[in-house]
Amino acid sequence: MPETVLSVADLSSGYGKAVICQDVSLALCAGQITCIIGPNGAGKSTLLKTIAGVVRPISGSVRITGREIAGLPASVIARSGMAYVPQEANVFRQLTTHENLTMGAWTDPGRAADACARVYAMFPDLEPLRRVRAGNLSGGQRQMVAFGMAMMLEPRVLLLDEPSAGLSPLMVRQMFDIVRRVNGDGVAILMVEQNAIEGLRIAHRGVVMAAGRVALEGSAESLLTSSDVSELYLGTRA
Amino acid sequence: MSLQMIVNGLVNAALIAPPAMAFSLLFGILRFPNFAIGGYITVGAFAAYTLNVALGLPLPLAAAGAMAFTALVVWGAHVIVFRPMEGQSAITLLVVSIAVTLILENVIRLIYSADVRGFDIPLQRPWKVFGARITPEQVEIIVWSLVIGVMLHLLLAHTRIGRAMRAVADNPTLAAIRGVNAARVTAFTTALCGALFGLTGVFAGLDLVIEPLVGWNLTIPIFAAAILGGIGSPYGAILGAVLVGLAEEATILVLPSTYKIAVGFVIIAVLLLVRPQGLFGTAEIKK
Amino acid sequence: MTAYLVSMGTYVGFFMILALALNLQWGITGMVNFGIAGFYALGAYTSGLLTVKLGVPVGLAIPAACLAGLVLGGAVALLSVRLREDFLAIVTLGVGEMIRLIVLNEDQITEGPRGLRIEARPFGTVIPPEHYPLFYLGLVAACVLLTFVICEAIRRAPMGRTLRAIREDDVVAEVLGKNVLRHRVQIFAVGGFFMGLAGALYAHYVQNISPEVFMPVVAMFIWMSVIVGGAGNNRGILLGAGAVMVFLEGTRFVGDFTDALDAEKMSALRIIAIGLLLIITLRLRPRGLLPERKFHVSTD
Repeated sequence: MPETVLSVADLSSGYGKAVICQDVSLALCAGQITCIIGPNGAGKSTLLKTIAGVVRPISGSVRITGREIAGLPASVIARSGMAYVPQEANVFRQLTTHENLTMGAWTDPGRAADACARVYAMFPDLEPLRRVRAGNLSGGQRQMVAFGMAMMLEPRVLLLDEPSAGLSPLMVRQMFDIVRRVNGDGVAILMVEQNAIEGLRIAHRGVVMAAGRVALEGSAESLLTSSDVSELYLGTRA
Repeated sequence: MSLQMIVNGLVNAALIAPPAMAFSLLFGILRFPNFAIGGYITVGAFAAYTLNVALGLPLPLAAAGAMAFTALVVWGAHVIVFRPMEGQSAITLLVVSIAVTLILENVIRLIYSADVRGFDIPLQRPWKVFGARITPEQVEIIVWSLVIGVMLHLLLAHTRIGRAMRAVADNPTLAAIRGVNAARVTAFTTALCGALFGLTGVFAGLDLVIEPLVGWNLTIPIFAAAILGGIGSPYGAILGAVLVGLAEEATILVLPSTYKIAVGFVIIAVLLLVRPQGLFGTAEIKK
Repeated sequence: MTAYLVSMGTYVGFFMILALALNLQWGITGMVNFGIAGFYALGAYTSGLLTVKLGVPVGLAIPAACLAGLVLGGAVALLSVRLREDFLAIVTLGVGEMIRLIVLNEDQITEGPRGLRIEARPFGTVIPPEHYPLFYLGLVAACVLLTFVICEAIRRAPMGRTLRAIREDDVVAEVLGKNVLRHRVQIFAVGGFFMGLAGALYAHYVQNISPEVFMPVVAMFIWMSVIVGGAGNNRGILLGAGAVMVFLEGTRFVGDFTDALDAEKMSALRIIAIGLLLIITLRLRPRGLLPERKFHVSTD
């Protein structure tokens, strides 16, 4: 059994009085991809936001390599070796590509120069755009900037909120390739994906969320072949 | 337009450019038009007056003291008044900021009365440049305004805190996700802007007069410059200040000079109606 | 003492009308107006100048002042439909200051800072002078009541619901098929109408008006009334306006009892106190003393 890098236990959170996530528990093992699927409004994005500290938890625990981070502000969690890529507004539109990447190394500025070189090597398309404002980039380029920013400090855990949202089919495939490549380098990834089949195909484990709770959990393979899941959430009949 | 009017217009511009940039920076982070800047400028003018006239310090030293004191006041107002009200609507905060200006203005009236004052500096003969008159103080204001513009640019574009200021203004949530402590950045921004408002108070005392309404009378031209430049864009604010400064002088050609302070309003109204994003507002176009 | 109370009551009335009008614009429809002093001045000078310079009877001059407010309100609303609310704040403040500047500078017409002397008074020739203040209090009270009834009727009417929908979210209201623009313009105009009325009533009461009365700080007092009273609630507004005026006037008394503070210092202290009270109220009771009753449960 590989080491658990991220463990969530009985986590509840929401906005004001509305509870969105209820008693969610899940674990992410080192080097693995876990894909969270489920219908709209199931609380998938809110779960990621809560883990990242953007939404305050009501109760429960979140541990990164054994260290409790639940309830800490996002700016502190940013130093825990976990990087989160939100679904929307995930780049600084007024800053250039290069400045965006530099912001990814905010907590350890000494590493910024090397890290930028590494990210440009990972996304060669970004290199010529380094002086362009992120707001003027295409959707796919922005997604690369967002991803690159998160990869700057070589996180152990990556939280991805719908990395394929709004991308063209070609870009979607590229994006999943990148996710797999990053994972191949040993980064554990917790990913929310609307594109459930594609998401589960590259994942090791899958979590099905419904109405704020974990409805089903298992290996990605078993979920892909489970008739319940395919009927309910994958939009296909087995 | 005569050379004299252009000179006067540039002096106006130099006076309102730094606070317009500061207003823009504050707006970027706090997201409401802060009417308290009038009170802050007045505080700066009177702080410098007290240090210069009552305590006999030379003006540059008094100006530095006034900047520090105003920075403290602005930061204090942020901590005591505005930060606890975070999340309230822009209008509520706007009403509160007017209240802050009224309080500061009247505290000063209480202490100093409404008399018109000036700094204790030797009267200098204006210089003549191609027939246009300009006082050495006005030259100083223009030079310092330029220096401040360059320094602010260097700060925003090439320093870590400057990048953080832009990042927080752009997307505070993402800035937090990347580890930026927004509270600290905001505190720095308020103090920096406070120092600029303080300096504006000193300049206003040099070029105009020192009285409790000095800041209020500058508020609208400053708003006009910042809105003209595309609110939230400090560089636009400089251009906006030049246009407002020249426009104020140009009005004198057609209207009595008593209407000068209305120019700002007219510019704001017309501009907001025609181009709500500002003249130089950043439209996102692919290059 | 009675005379003093009557006079204070009359002033409270002016404040109540202004505050009800602002509540209509902001409390119910969510459109800010920081140019209240300008509307107030427009009403005062329209009615005053019509009687003084053109010899128009008071009975026509006061309605004309109301109409002037109505037209200005409609025009401001129409011109600023596309504005974000915080920018509307700046534009309205500008309109207010412009009116004050015009009054101040066009002194061939307005007498400027010397002040405009107004002889005409409603029923001035019929009512004996010794009863006149009491009569005027009654007249103002009737106007307050009328304003209150109309504002309440607007709030309760189906239109009121639409207005609140506009306040909460104009995109939603637009989707619901409500004509947002028309309602906004109408309400801003009606608010202007009542502010004009307050101005005219003030002009014929003090009989000597000058621009320094119409400083932007007036807007602050009225905002204070609405915020303290509870935006959206007309009864609360009456209470708020009363409380603010009693506070303003009451502190005048304190000045009479101490020699340490001259009139100017006293007025500075009063404004400081109002500012502090406003901030404290917004901190402790952001919805006012008598908050508006919730009309729907937010679902987001």
